[in-house]
Amino acid sequence: MSSSLKTEHAVEIDGVEHRYGAVAAVGPVDLSVPAGAFLVLVGASGCGKSTLLRLIAGFEQPTTGTVRIDGKIPEPGRGAGLVFQQPRLLPWKTVGGNVELALRYAGVSREERAKRVPELLERVGLHDVAERRVWQISGGQQQRVAIARALAVPNPLLLLDEPFAALDALTRERLQEDLRQVTAETGRTCVFVTHSVDEAVFLGSRVIVLTSRPGRVALDQDIDLPRTGIEPDELRGLPSYAALRATIGHAVRDAATV
Amino acid sequence: MNAEWGRRIGLRVVAIAVLGVLWQVTATVMDNPTFIPSPAAVWHRLIQTSTVHDGTRGYSGHLLIEHLGVSLRRILIGSAIGVAGGLVLGVVMGTVGWIRVVTEPVVTFVRALPPLAYFSLFIIWFGIDETPKLWLLSIAALPPVAVATAAAVHNAPTALVEATRALGAKRWQVTRDVVLPNALPEIFTGIRLAVGIAYSSVVAAETINGVPGIGGMVRDAQRYSQTDVVVLGLFAIGLSGLAIDAVLRQAETRLIPWRGRA
Ligand SMILES: Nc1ncnc2c1ncn2[C@@H]1O[C@H](COP(=O)(O)OP(=O)(O)O)[C@@H](O)[C@H]1O
Ligand SMILES: [Mg+2]
Repeated sequence: MSSSLKTEHAVEIDGVEHRYGAVAAVGPVDLSVPAGAFLVLVGASGCGKSTLLRLIAGFEQPTTGTVRIDGKIPEPGRGAGLVFQQPRLLPWKTVGGNVELALRYAGVSREERAKRVPELLERVGLHDVAERRVWQISGGQQQRVAIARALAVPNPLLLLDEPFAALDALTRERLQEDLRQVTAETGRTCVFVTHSVDEAVFLGSRVIVLTSRPGRVALDQDIDLPRTGIEPDELRGLPSYAALRATIGHAVRDAATV
Repeated sequence: MNAEWGRRIGLRVVAIAVLGVLWQVTATVMDNPTFIPSPAAVWHRLIQTSTVHDGTRGYSGHLLIEHLGVSLRRILIGSAIGVAGGLVLGVVMGTVGWIRVVTEPVVTFVRALPPLAYFSLFIIWFGIDETPKLWLLSIAALPPVAVATAAAVHNAPTALVEATRALGAKRWQVTRDVVLPNALPEIFTGIRLAVGIAYSSVVAAETINGVPGIGGMVRDAQRYSQTDVVVLGLFAIGLSGLAIDAVLRQAETRLIPWRGRA
């Protein structure tokens, strides 16, 4: 593989199918995610979104086809940071301790860790919580910590599986906006799973609508909305935003009835 | 919360007072101190065994506190060895499938045996000094810790294991940072059980060459029909057991602040 190809596509999904025993969950799917893209996977519940993400994370092996991250077969903890629907923080660690773990696994020195933990927490909008216990902060704050922790993983790919689905509407909107900024600033490649059409259009630079199980690509839509320097309300008020929402909404409904 | 506490304490004090009165009444009615010694007689024994009187030191040449100290030391060493062994065995059992398959019935078998049953074997193997007593207590304390640890390690929460692996943790790091801390509450329950079993086995362990030791004291007293000493020994063991369990509970809330919150 040439190095230009490596930088061009962070994730390569090639003829991938996945079955759980007799249940075909995904595929066949062909998909390339360019470096720096914010790819959103939308689809009805049970259509195979999480499975596809787990294939990229290396937690599942495809039944057929290949998944590659920067040309390599994915392995858990190697190619990507991962955020789940639930924060999944370790309750026996402090908030800061949870973020620190990722740095420790990456071999970052103790002094360096002490410096970077507060930085990472600040980056997701958290101040003075490093010493707190996990259960002493709100659900939204816990999910922010989970994102900070995933950002501490030293690789440019970030995988998120409905990370805001369990949050209240207000908190969700704040986190969406903050994630949009963080990923724009850090130049991360993101694959983001959601069942919310609005969330997809708001966050994505490209939206993939999946069919019902087994999940295949029903629509591949580029979102050329301004990504920075625009307020969320302003963005949502654009006519093109409404048009994209309509297009994707239709596709999701059609895909679900197929 | 505080009123609740006060109520509980009050209830217990009343219950103890009622038991004491019942005891005194029964002792008075029976009027047979060899069968039921009165509270006053036991109290007198407490004073007597705790002091040097008429040139005699406590009971059988040792103060009550010395008997208790020796027994506690045995319990401590025995359960420490048993807990350590149980922890190691439990982690291995919880991690390696075939070892669990092989050892599980053995551990359950040993657990079902009354400690006195294998004590004879240890006497034959190790003589009548400290060694067989410590073996008895260690073997008695090991199974509950091994079983609790194995179950907790085996049932490590997939969600947290996956999240930690996704951060780049190696296998041993997952064990250190997720599996063991997650098992800590169950391990602690196992430890409390183990110490309890060591406690209830120590009197048995001290039936042979057990002086100094509460078990030896009780056995000698039984031989000379000194029922008040027997009762005193029971109180010494039972009350110190309560105290140790309270200490363990305290340690538990200190060490596992997340218990019930995760
Ligand atoms: N571990 C598993 N074993 C068997 N079936 C599974 C497993 N995980 C998911 N499935 C099935 O695969 C399909 C896709 O699941 P999933 O990828 O979780 O969908 P989504 O995330 O889109 O809701 C569902 O029908 C689900 O029941
Ligand atoms: Mg899902």
